[in-house]
Amino acid sequence: MIGRITNQMAAQTTLAGIETSLDRLDTTQQELSTGKRINQPSDDPSGTALTLNLNTQLANLTNYSNQVTDGTGWAQAQSSALTDITNAAQRIQELTTEAANGTQTTADMQASAQEVNQLIDEIKQDANTQYNGQYVFSGSATSTAPYQSGSNDTYGGNSGAVTRTIGPNTTLTVSANLQGVLGNGQSSSDGQLLDTLRTIAGNMQSGNSSGLNANLSSLTTNLNSLTGLAANVGATQDRLQMASSRIQTLQTSDTQVLSNTQDADMASTEINFSTQQAALTAALQAGAHIVQESLMNFLGSSG
Amino acid sequence: MTIPTYMGLNTALSGLEAAQAAIDTTGQNIANASTPGYSRQRVNLTERSQLTIPALSSYTGDGSQFGTGVDITSITRIRDTFLDSQYRAQNTTENGDSTSSTILGQVQAGLAEASSTTGLSHALDQFFTDWSTLGASPGNAGAQQAVMGDGANVADQLNTLSGQLTTLQSQVTDQYNTLTDPVNGAVANDANQIAQLNTQIAQAQSAGIDANALEDQRDNVIDDLSQYSNVNVTTQSNGMVNVSLGNAAVAAQNGTADSTPLVNGGSVDLTDNLTDANLSGGGGTLGALLGLHDATTGTGQIDNYMTTLNKVANQLVTTVNGAISGADASGPSATPFFTTTGTTAATIAVNPSLTASSTTPPYTSAEANAVAGLTNGTAQQTYNAFVTQVGSDVKSAQNSQQTAQSLLTAIGNQRQSVSGVSLDEEMTNLIQYQQAYQASARVMSTIDTTIGTLLNMVSAG
Repeated sequence: MIGRITNQMAAQTTLAGIETSLDRLDTTQQELSTGKRINQPSDDPSGTALTLNLNTQLANLTNYSNQVTDGTGWAQAQSSALTDITNAAQRIQELTTEAANGTQTTADMQASAQEVNQLIDEIKQDANTQYNGQYVFSGSATSTAPYQSGSNDTYGGNSGAVTRTIGPNTTLTVSANLQGVLGNGQSSSDGQLLDTLRTIAGNMQSGNSSGLNANLSSLTTNLNSLTGLAANVGATQDRLQMASSRIQTLQTSDTQVLSNTQDADMASTEINFSTQQAALTAALQAGAHIVQESLMNFLGSSG
Repeated sequence: MTIPTYMGLNTALSGLEAAQAAIDTTGQNIANASTPGYSRQRVNLTERSQLTIPALSSYTGDGSQFGTGVDITSITRIRDTFLDSQYRAQNTTENGDSTSSTILGQVQAGLAEASSTTGLSHALDQFFTDWSTLGASPGNAGAQQAVMGDGANVADQLNTLSGQLTTLQSQVTDQYNTLTDPVNGAVANDANQIAQLNTQIAQAQSAGIDANALEDQRDNVIDDLSQYSNVNVTTQSNGMVNVSLGNAAVAAQNGTADSTPLVNGGSVDLTDNLTDANLSGGGGTLGALLGLHDATTGTGQIDNYMTTLNKVANQLVTTVNGAISGADASGPSATPFFTTTGTTAATIAVNPSLTASSTTPPYTSAEANAVAGLTNGTAQQTYNAFVTQVGSDVKSAQNSQQTAQSLLTAIGNQRQSVSGVSLDEEMTNLIQYQQAYQASARVMSTIDTTIGTLLNMVSAG
């Protein structure tokens, strides 16, 4: 217990009080100006650890979200290309059906053959669809065109998979096996779409309507595989859609936790600020009044 | 024998002198009310030896004793040496904590992890995101450039952090060497001053003079010395003090006599006391500096930080290069992303052969995705733990510094309560002494009048 109070003690205690008030006010002011409760790791070490982890998670989520967006664009490009290819193949189916019933003249059939060849070019062009500078049907050889224009129908890509990372340890294959549907053309006689179409064009050119009749059934098989592939791409789009909404939910909750961890509670910080300001003003006023006083103020000059 | 005629005058004179000495001392106290380290002084008075006059009571023959006034025996400082030693112990702790928290604060500021857009953690997040983007579009020149740029950024940040730690290490060593310099160092200066004051105080005491001012100065210097390391003070009979420093002082407090004290009377022993062994582990600025970085052994808190940072760099280099080479068939022949020779924070660098622009994509999609899969992996976890560690270290240093600070203020106040000057008290004393002086003067004038009356009667007769 302190018995005597000296003038130096009173002055030092007042000064220490003012310094403490000012220090608290400074901290609160920093919180107010940055809007953050954690302004350096030492403000809350465990909160800092959480913040660092959340920042990494959010960066990953942003990345997943970008990949989903990219994957969606990619799948849309595939989907519209497949629709165009299907339309062209269906048009060829019509032409073949008309030519196969034996009522057309050779000249009519040759005109149809010309149209079929044009449609084949169109199909190959659609197969060469690019998204963001990459061929979407080339497997993982995304810088190589799957098909060359002209009579060469050999597939130029590979069978590698193209994936997008849409979550932690979750990858989604976005490449579609168009090669399995279009095939390698007549020279390979693999019975796939391009082979069938070239054969149809040849039969039309030569007016072989019975051959065309046989071709129709293989064309139907080819069209079925095409529809199957389109359905696959559709399923990929659905998965991307679901991943996107899941990522958004996670982003929202992570952002919320991050904000709870590192952001200052503005209302209570404001109240702290005014309280501390009042405390500082009181300490300053007390210092200005009390320390000046001593017995001398009350002793007459006569002693 | 009767009462000496002028004895009363001498008694009154001693009263006047005592009152004057008390007023002078009060004046000294008031003048030094705000002098740092000043201890208030007090005039010690005793009753002067009595005079026995047998004739006054001839009936018994014993005589009567007459007071002959007051003697000023000494003017002493009012000081509690126990509070001094407590104050110094707390001062040692406070300065040690303050040194640690300042330097660790610099480490923390260097991390720049306050905002979410600066610092290595952000750079690592970006780096792994870039790899993921590259994995999605392997041939894309922009994505390749981003990987190179942000990889270089990660390497730069690690290089910078390592450089900052090295700078802090040399700062710590510089400060330590400056303080312990045997010629101009602060410790040597304080020790020499104490020895010099010891000699002067012993001389004054042997001459029978109060050496209050010198003792105040010496206590002040010992207070100053206590900020550097633990001190222990033992007083000698001749007024000199022996001062032990560092671990020797702690041992002395626990009862093991210090055979080689820093200040031994009038002599100073720096070689036995200014050693790392004596100063390390102890408190004070010097103990804290050695705890942060001991240049001789290469150990300390900053060195531990450096080890962790090197671990981050090593893990980053190993995992990234490993992921590339293990990703697919072409991996083992792929160019390592980080140079394989730079596996410390100071030497980590992006492989220079990559920065020379190449037409073929250097990494396959599988390789890039393998690196992207390292996000939130060992390197990042180690780094996050490192940031948290630095944060807790700074916080605990700041907390103990605040505690030590308030304890120091409390003990300082107690010391002030004993030794400090209260102006109110001095004013009260002043009035008291002034009245004592006036009263003694009145006694003197009364005796003067009395004797004057007698003399007048004689001359009139």
